[in-house]
Amino acid sequence: MTSTVAVDGSVRPGGALAARAWLTWSLAAVAIALAGTNPIYRGIVALAALNVLAAWLPRGRSLRPLAWALAFAAGFAIAINLLASHTGEHVLVRFPDGLPLVGGPITVESLAYGATLGLGLVAAVLAVAPLSMVLESHDIVDALPGALERTGIAVAASMNLVSGFGRTFSAVRDAQRMRGWRPGGIRSWNEVLVPVALTAIEDSVLLAEAMEARAFGAGRRSSFASGSLGRRDWLVAGSALLAVGVFVGGRFLGLGADWYPYPSLVMPAVDLPLVAGCLLLALPAFMHRPEPAG
Amino acid sequence: MTDRLATLRHVTYAYPGADGPAIVDVDLDVRPGLTLVAGDSGSGKSTLLRLFNGLVPQFHGGRIAGSAEVLGLDPMRVPIPRLAVGAGLVFQDVETQSVYGTVEREVAFGLENLGRPRAEMHDRVDEALAELGIESLRRRRLATLSGGERQKVQLAAVLALRPRLVALDEPTSQLDPAGAAAVLESCLRATGAGRAVVLAEHRLEAVAPVADRLLQLDDGRVREADPGRLASLRGGAGPKQRRVPSRSVLGPGPDPSWELNDVDAGFGRRPVLEAITLAGRRGEVVALTGPNGSGKTTLLRTLAGLLAPMAGSIRRPDGRTAYLPQDPGALLHLPTVRAEVSLTIARSGGNEPPDAMLAAFGLLGLADRYPRDLSSGERQRAALAATLAGSPQLVLLDEPTRGMDGAARAALVGAVRELTGRGAAAVVATHDEGLVAAVADRVVRIEGGRVVEMVAEVGRRPDEGATGQDFTGEGITAADVAAGSTA
Repeated sequence: MTSTVAVDGSVRPGGALAARAWLTWSLAAVAIALAGTNPIYRGIVALAALNVLAAWLPRGRSLRPLAWALAFAAGFAIAINLLASHTGEHVLVRFPDGLPLVGGPITVESLAYGATLGLGLVAAVLAVAPLSMVLESHDIVDALPGALERTGIAVAASMNLVSGFGRTFSAVRDAQRMRGWRPGGIRSWNEVLVPVALTAIEDSVLLAEAMEARAFGAGRRSSFASGSLGRRDWLVAGSALLAVGVFVGGRFLGLGADWYPYPSLVMPAVDLPLVAGCLLLALPAFMHRPEPAG
Repeated sequence: MTDRLATLRHVTYAYPGADGPAIVDVDLDVRPGLTLVAGDSGSGKSTLLRLFNGLVPQFHGGRIAGSAEVLGLDPMRVPIPRLAVGAGLVFQDVETQSVYGTVEREVAFGLENLGRPRAEMHDRVDEALAELGIESLRRRRLATLSGGERQKVQLAAVLALRPRLVALDEPTSQLDPAGAAAVLESCLRATGAGRAVVLAEHRLEAVAPVADRLLQLDDGRVREADPGRLASLRGGAGPKQRRVPSRSVLGPGPDPSWELNDVDAGFGRRPVLEAITLAGRRGEVVALTGPNGSGKTTLLRTLAGLLAPMAGSIRRPDGRTAYLPQDPGALLHLPTVRAEVSLTIARSGGNEPPDAMLAAFGLLGLADRYPRDLSSGERQRAALAATLAGSPQLVLLDEPTRGMDGAARAALVGAVRELTGRGAAAVVATHDEGLVAAVADRVVRIEGGRVVEMVAEVGRRPDEGATGQDFTGEGITAADVAAGSTA
């Protein structure tokens, strides 16, 4: 049994999916998103992942920061390819050859290929987003093999310090500003970054002490949560594996060829079996079963 | 005696690299019941508590002499995880001791480490949550809990291991009165189950009524406090009572030094403060009270100019504004305490020697020490001196007495009076009723981002009449405020 955070901050074990089911789904979605350059399949994976994420996102958490980060990353990928590729028949504009990197023709083809690169990035990130936005840190720890469990706990515990790190940074920056500090060159940030780093180290030592005081490192651990998968977990994991199977099998059979817009822009090929395989990834979006808190 | 749970004999301990021992020749027996440990910051309270579960000396290293026995085990040699079963420790900071993100799993963490069977873990988690009356929090995320609730969760996480001795290191220092009361109630439940609870605290008045015993630590030496002292703390005998008027509007008098006019403030699009109208005069200390999360810090940051208001206007006096954040020790970064104070003075354009401010906070003897090597109380005094130097005209203090011992509190009260005596205005956000009584000229209660309560509060003042003002204590109602009248 795993636990997922619900609307009011309560944890909803009954309606949640096991972390191992999520891991399987995420790996499958990432594999499909990155296995080829066809933007149709990447787009379907991205849409499926977005729907799954929207369905399972705990109340109180927002997709807005992720959306901004993805927009920036995708925009960056498009811009780099657009400005640096200079390949393709349909020229949008031509920069002087003397300009480093961007000099030369700027083409529709390079814009299209940049867009498919950005789409692949978006699909891959959305595929792994549930691991951090839907699951709790202990869910991930539960899903790790025994050899990695302690490392996972140490990472999970240190992640708890991250929010405190942000608060310390704001507090120290504000306090130094009120003492007359103003941001200038890199060296001026010593007055903020040094005390923040020292405080982070002190907090880490305190956390290590608190963990040891609760017998961390005593020996073989056990887990509060059952590692067994339920029917719904198997359904999600199974459908994800089937999606990968269909996609990889289809590629072996000559379906789903990679798409390159160079030298001249062409429409990407669409093979219905692969589309169906990608759509299987949307299954978790229909399995969200809200339960009353407590 | 058979009910003795821990015994320390002639224990002396020094941290690695320390000039002297943190505790000296400690002789102590611990029995079931609540033992309150008093002492100034740096007196050795935290070190003493860490002896019971072996963190001292095993986690910290250093040199130790003497003998100790905790539940039949030697805490100097038996591995800490084995000691953790019998002797638990709850730390001061609720943020830095959490491992997982949810209540149930946080409580189960120690049991997982001990490899307990799953069924037993579920039973013990149920038992610990029930013992503290927090079953309803079981599935909550820690980040959504109040400070008091989080500290109770940490206590439950320790109780799940079924220790017979529980040590708590200033567990209420960061909590509002309601949170502190909840934690103390939990301690009582724990002692009711036959456990020994050893609790180190500065706010003795709050704990003394439920304590069975009072230990005093001075410079690492522990002694049984005079029984009369515990009785007097229980009885609440203290300085003369003083009534502090509670009102959000100024009475007749000179123009205000600072003003908030119909201010909304917050983060993103969500206002934390709504329609706040407040003002204060030169020489006046306004205390902001209210529960954790009510918006006091946001109000101070807005008044300081660190947060732009969403609506309304703000006026501050000319000259420097001093702002002391929560956990002020975090801002210290220079090689010496003197350098920290000098930096603030230089930045404010002043030329007074730093020694006056260092002396005000009793720091002259520590002026050439590295601030982060000081005890927590000394470090807090250093941060106060560094913040309040430079002749500020507006002083904003956010929970300044958090974890502060008596000497530091007295120094703070003196410094605030000194500054307001020279014409500065001060605004202090605090849960500390003693501080309110000691320095405040007026109390404003904030709740849910609004000024909500307009009744007189009663407090104590160690030095009655120090401001030369005599308050009638007559409160005013919210309707009075709305009508613009004053008490």
